[in-house]
Amino acid sequence: MERNNKLFAVSALFNTPNEIISAASKTAEKGYTKFDVHTPYPVHGMDTAMKLKPSNLGFVTLGFGLSGTGLALMLAYWTMNVDYPMNIGGKPLFAFPAYVPVIFEVTVLLATLATVIGMLTFFFKFPSNSHPVHDTNFMKAVSMDKFGVIIESEDPLFNEADAVSFLESLGGNSIEKIYYPVKEAYPVFDKKFIGLQISIALVVAGLTYVTLNKAVYIQPFSWMTDQFRSDVQASSTFFSDGRSMRLPVDGTVARGFMPYEYSELTTQPEKPLTNPFAPSKAFLELGKKKYETFCSPCHGNYGDGDSRLREQFPNPPSLHSEKVRTWKDGNIYHVIVNGQNVMPAYAVQLNDEERWAITSYIRVLQRAKNSTEEDVKLVRKEIISNVAQ
Amino acid sequence: MSHSDKMWVKKDLPVRVQNLGFLLLGVGLAAGITGLFIDAHRFMMNYLIAFMLLVSIGAGSLFMVALEYIAGADWSVPVRRINEFYAASVLFIIILAIPVLMNMESVFHWAQPQAVSEDKILKWKAPYLDTTFFIVRILVAGGIWSLFYSLLSRNSKTQDLTKDQNLTRKNIILSAIFVPIFAITVSVVSIDWLMSVEPHWFSTIYGVYFFSGSVLASLAIVTYTTVWLKEHGYLHPRMTNDHLFSLGALLFAFINFWAYIAFSQYLLIWYANLPEENFWFIQRWEGGWMIMSILLIVIHFLVPYSVLLSQPAKMDPKRLKFASLWILFAHVFDLYWLVMPSYHSEHSTGFFTYILEFGFPIAAIGLLILLFYFKTKKNNLIPIGDPKLDKSLNFRL
Amino acid sequence: MNIDYSKEDIIVSGRLSIAQIEDLIAKPLETKVDKKFLIALSVSVTALMIGAISLGFSLLYGTGLWGNNQPVGWAFPIVNFVFWVGIGHAGTLISAILYLLRQKWRNGIARFAEAMTIFAVMTAGIFPIIHTGRPWLAGYLFPYPNQHSLWVNFTSPLIWDVFAVSTYFTVSFVFWYVGLIPDFATMRDRTKEGIRKTIYKVFSLGWRHSHRNWQHYEKAYMLLAGFATPLVLSVHTIVSFDFAVSIMPGWHTTIFPPYFVAGAIFSGFAMVVTVLIFVRKIFDLEHLITIDHLEKMNKIILATGMMVGYAYAMEFFIAWYSGNQTESFVFVNRAFGPYAWAYWIMVSCNVIFPQFFWIRKLRRSIPVMFIIVIFVNVGMWFERFVITITSLHRDFLPSSWGYYRPTLYDFGILLGSFGLFFTLVILFTKALPVVSIAEIKAVADDAQPSHHGDH
Repeated sequence: MERNNKLFAVSALFNTPNEIISAASKTAEKGYTKFDVHTPYPVHGMDTAMKLKPSNLGFVTLGFGLSGTGLALMLAYWTMNVDYPMNIGGKPLFAFPAYVPVIFEVTVLLATLATVIGMLTFFFKFPSNSHPVHDTNFMKAVSMDKFGVIIESEDPLFNEADAVSFLESLGGNSIEKIYYPVKEAYPVFDKKFIGLQISIALVVAGLTYVTLNKAVYIQPFSWMTDQFRSDVQASSTFFSDGRSMRLPVDGTVARGFMPYEYSELTTQPEKPLTNPFAPSKAFLELGKKKYETFCSPCHGNYGDGDSRLREQFPNPPSLHSEKVRTWKDGNIYHVIVNGQNVMPAYAVQLNDEERWAITSYIRVLQRAKNSTEEDVKLVRKEIISNVAQ
Repeated sequence: MSHSDKMWVKKDLPVRVQNLGFLLLGVGLAAGITGLFIDAHRFMMNYLIAFMLLVSIGAGSLFMVALEYIAGADWSVPVRRINEFYAASVLFIIILAIPVLMNMESVFHWAQPQAVSEDKILKWKAPYLDTTFFIVRILVAGGIWSLFYSLLSRNSKTQDLTKDQNLTRKNIILSAIFVPIFAITVSVVSIDWLMSVEPHWFSTIYGVYFFSGSVLASLAIVTYTTVWLKEHGYLHPRMTNDHLFSLGALLFAFINFWAYIAFSQYLLIWYANLPEENFWFIQRWEGGWMIMSILLIVIHFLVPYSVLLSQPAKMDPKRLKFASLWILFAHVFDLYWLVMPSYHSEHSTGFFTYILEFGFPIAAIGLLILLFYFKTKKNNLIPIGDPKLDKSLNFRL
Repeated sequence: MNIDYSKEDIIVSGRLSIAQIEDLIAKPLETKVDKKFLIALSVSVTALMIGAISLGFSLLYGTGLWGNNQPVGWAFPIVNFVFWVGIGHAGTLISAILYLLRQKWRNGIARFAEAMTIFAVMTAGIFPIIHTGRPWLAGYLFPYPNQHSLWVNFTSPLIWDVFAVSTYFTVSFVFWYVGLIPDFATMRDRTKEGIRKTIYKVFSLGWRHSHRNWQHYEKAYMLLAGFATPLVLSVHTIVSFDFAVSIMPGWHTTIFPPYFVAGAIFSGFAMVVTVLIFVRKIFDLEHLITIDHLEKMNKIILATGMMVGYAYAMEFFIAWYSGNQTESFVFVNRAFGPYAWAYWIMVSCNVIFPQFFWIRKLRRSIPVMFIIVIFVNVGMWFERFVITITSLHRDFLPSSWGYYRPTLYDFGILLGSFGLFFTLVILFTKALPVVSIAEIKAVADDAQPSHHGDH
C-alpha cells in the first residue's frame, strides 16, 4: 500500500498481556479517547482497562429475535387460517403448539443473522481492507504474538511528539508512525466497480435463466414427463387382449350396487318383492322428498297425473287408478327400477331404500285421496289427542 | 491455599434464621394438619406435594454436588457446601415417606384392591404398582441417596482438616458411580410417587421432567442462600458477582430445559391425541385447571425467563433473589399441577382449604431452613480444604 | 495418575510459544499437498463417485431401485438423514455449549468439529430431498408466495425439519465464519502478496485485531453460542418429532426428543474423535489436541451413551407399563423379531462397548478409543435403522407385514455420503486452519494477564 505523508496514528508494541493491560489503562487514564489496542486474541480484563462501555449488540439481537418470533407467527397464522384454511389431522386451524418449532427456528435465524451482519457492517464498518493499519509491521506483529497500542492523530489530545514519548514511557517498543494510504477512498460510483457489478449481474442472470429454463429439461432431468405408463382407453401391446385397461374380475360388484334380478322381465314379478322397511315417519319423509324430486314432475304432487307436462307429452297416468291401487308394492318398485312405456328407469338415481320409500309414500297418497269414513275418524281422533297433549 | 484460608472466618448464622425456620415449620404443620381433619384425602395428596418438594431439593442438590465433581467445575467450589447441606434432606426421605405409606389408599388409586380388581389395565400393572414393591423401591432409593450423601459429605468434611487431594479423587469416583444410579432412582421415584397418582397414564419423559424441575428447585434454593449469605458476609470475600453469574446462568439454562421437556411432552401427546395419553392433559384443561395450566407456563417459564434473560440480570443479586424465590414457588406450583388434578371430590371444601393447602409446602421450606441452620452450626460454609478453592475464587468470566 | 487439582488445566501442552502455535496450525496451508493427502482424497472421492453414480441411476430410473416399499417406506434415506444430522450435533455442542460452560479445552477442537457439523448437515440435507423422488420440486418446501396460493403445512413435522435443518446449517455456517475472520486476518498477515493473500484479504473483511472490535466480537460470540445451544437441541428434537408425533408404536413416545439429542451428541462426538485421532497425528497437532482433550471427549461419549441406554430401558419399561399391547409387541419384536440382529448390534455398540471408557487407561489409549468410537458410529447408525425399520415392518395390520432389504443402490448412496463428508473434511484440512488460531492462542500458557493483585 502506498502511503502519503498524512499521519494516521502512532503505534507501540508490547510483549506480554500484563504489560498491555497496564498500557491500555494508562492510555485511557491519560485522557486519550481515539486510541485502540490490538491483540492477536481477546485479552481478559481489557474492557475495564480501556474503559469501554458494555457492548450493546444484545439489543440488536433482541430486537431482531422478537421480530422473527412475530413474523413467523403471523406467517403461520395467515397462511393456515386466512389465506388457505385447511383441516389437518383434526387439529384446530390455529394449531399454536404445532407452530412453535417454526417460530423458534425463525427467531433464532433472524437473531443470529442480524447480530452478525449488524456487528460486521454497523459496528465494525467492514469490509475495511483500506484501513491505514493494514500492511504495516505493527499489524503483522499484533496478528502474530505481540500486543499493540495506537493513538490516532484525530484524538483531541494528540501531539506527535507527546504521543511518542508517552508510548515510550509505557515501555512500548518498535514505535511506528502509521500514515494514511495514498488512495483513501474507494468511491461507489467508480466506473470499473459499476462495470464489475453489471457484468456479475448479467452472468448470474444468464446462468439462472439457462439453468432453470434449459438445463433442467435436458436428459436425464425429464421431470418425469417420460414415463412408462398406459393411457386410459388406449390400446396396449402388453396385454393379450390389446387393451390398456383391465376388466374387473368376474362377479365383481361395485360398492353400493344392489343386484335386481327381474330387470329382464316384462311382466310384473309379484311374489318375491315385498317392502322390507317399516313405514316410520322419517322413512315416509324420505319418500316424500324423493317422490317430489323424481316423480312429481310428471305424476303431479299428489299423484293425479296433473303436472305441468300435461298435454305436452303422453299424459302421465294417475296413480289413483284402480289398477295401481290394487298393485302390490313390488309392482310399483319394479316400475321405478325398470320404467314403463315412456317412463324411464330410475334405478340409477334412486337406491333401494329410496325406491321403497317412494312406494310407501305413493301408498300414503292413495289412502289420503281415497279415504274412507273410518280413516277420517281416525285422523280426527289423533288430532284431538295431539291438541289435548 | 493458605491465602484463601486466612480471609474466611467461620461465623454462626443469626438466631433469627432458626426462628424463621421454626415459625414456618410450625405454621405450615398446623395448617396442614388442620386440613387433614377437614379432608384427609385432599391433604394427604397435599402432603405428597411437600414430600416431593423435599425429595426434589435433596436429590437435586446431591446431583449438583456430584455434577461438580465429575464435570471438574471450578467456579462452584465455594458454594458446594450449600448444595451439600440441602442434600442432607435425602436422609429424611424414608421417615417422611411414612405418613404416605400408611395412607396409600387415599393417595394412590392403584393401592385400592377394589379398584384394581375392576380394572384391566391396573391388573396388568399390578406387579409393578404393588404396595410392598413400592415400599421396597422408596427404601432402596432413599437408602442409596443417603449412602452417597454420607460418603460424599464425609469426604468433603474430612478434607477441611486434612486437605488431602485423594479425597477429591475419591469423590470424583463416587460421583461418577452415583450419577447413573441417580438417573435410575430419580426416574423410579418420580414414576412411583407422581406419575402413578394417575395410574393409567404413562409418559417416558416423566423422569427427565421431574429431574429438570428438581434441579431447578435445588438451584433456586442454593442461589437464594448464596446471595443471602454473600450479602451478609458469610461467604468468602473473594467471591465475586462472576460466581453469581454462573448460578444465574445455570438457573436460566434449567428454566429453558424444563420448558423444553415440558413442551416436548405436551406437543407429542397433543399431536398424537391418543385417548390413553391425552386424558391427562384434558384433565388439566377442564374448568379452573385451564387457568392453572396457562399460569404454569407463565410462572414456570415466561416470568423467570424474562427476568434472567439479560447478562447483567444474571449477576444482579436483587434479581437473582427474586428469581430464585419465584422459581421455588413455581416448582411447588408445578408439583401441585402434577398431583392435584387427580384429586376428585364430590363436595366443595371451600376457600379456606385453598389457604390451608399452602401448609405442608411451607412446612417443608421451614424444615429446609432448619436443616441448613443446624448444618452450618457444625460445619464450615466453605470447603476450606478443597484443593480447587483457590483456583475457584480466581474465577472470572 | 496423581492429579494436582489445585492447578489450572493445561490446554496447550509442550510449552509452545504463541508464534510456534501459529506456525504449527498454518503449516498445512503453506505447504504443498503430499502423497498421503492425495491417496486419502482419492479414496474418499472414489466413494463419492460411487454414491454419485448410484444416485444418478436412482434419479434416472426412479426410487424403485431402492429397497423402500410397503410397508417400509422410510428406509435408508431417512436412516442416513438422521444419522448425518446427528453427526452434525457435536460441532455446535463443542463450539456453543462447551463455550458457555467455559470449557477451555474446547478451543483446540472447536473449529474442526464445527467444520464437521457443516459438512455433516450438508450430507444429511441430500437425503430427505432425494427421498421425495422429485428433488427438483424441493423449492416448494419453503413458504414463498406463488400463484397457486400453495403454502407449506406449518403443522407438519416435516416442514419443521426444513426450517430446523436450514436454520441450523445457516447458523452453524455463520458461527464458523465469524470464528474464521480473525484467522483469515492472521493468515493474511503472514502471507506474501499474491492470489492467496487476496483471498485471505477478502474473507478477513479487513479485520484488525482491534480490541474495540474484539469486545463486540466476544459479545456476539456469546450471543451466537446462546442461540446455537437451544438450536442444536431443537434440531434433533424436531427430527425426533418426525417420528414421535405419529401414532406408530415404537415411534410415539415422549422421551424421543431428549433421547435423540443425547444420541446425536453421542454419535457426533464419536465421529469427531474418529477424525481427530488422524488429524492430530498427520498435522502434528498433538500439543494442541492433547490426549487430555480426547479423554474428556471420551467421557462425554460415555455419559451420552448411558443416556441413550437410559432411554432404551425407559422405552421398554413404559411399553410394558402402559398396558398397550401393540406397544409391547413392537418392543418385543425389536429385541427378538426378525431384526433382532440389528437391535443387539445397536445395544452392544451404544451401551455396552462405551462402558470400557470407565477405565482411565482405556480412555487414554488411542487404539482402544478408535475401536470403541468406530463401534459407536456403527451402533448409532443401527439405532436409526432399528427405530425406522422395526416399527414399520410390522405395524398394525399383520396382513401387510414385510421384511425390508436394502438394495445395492442404497448401499452405494450410503457409501457416497461418507465419500462426500470425508472429501469435504480432507479438502478443509488443506484450505483453512483446522484449529482456531485466535482461540487456541488465548488459552496458551501465560496468554492471559495474571489475576493476582487485581480485584
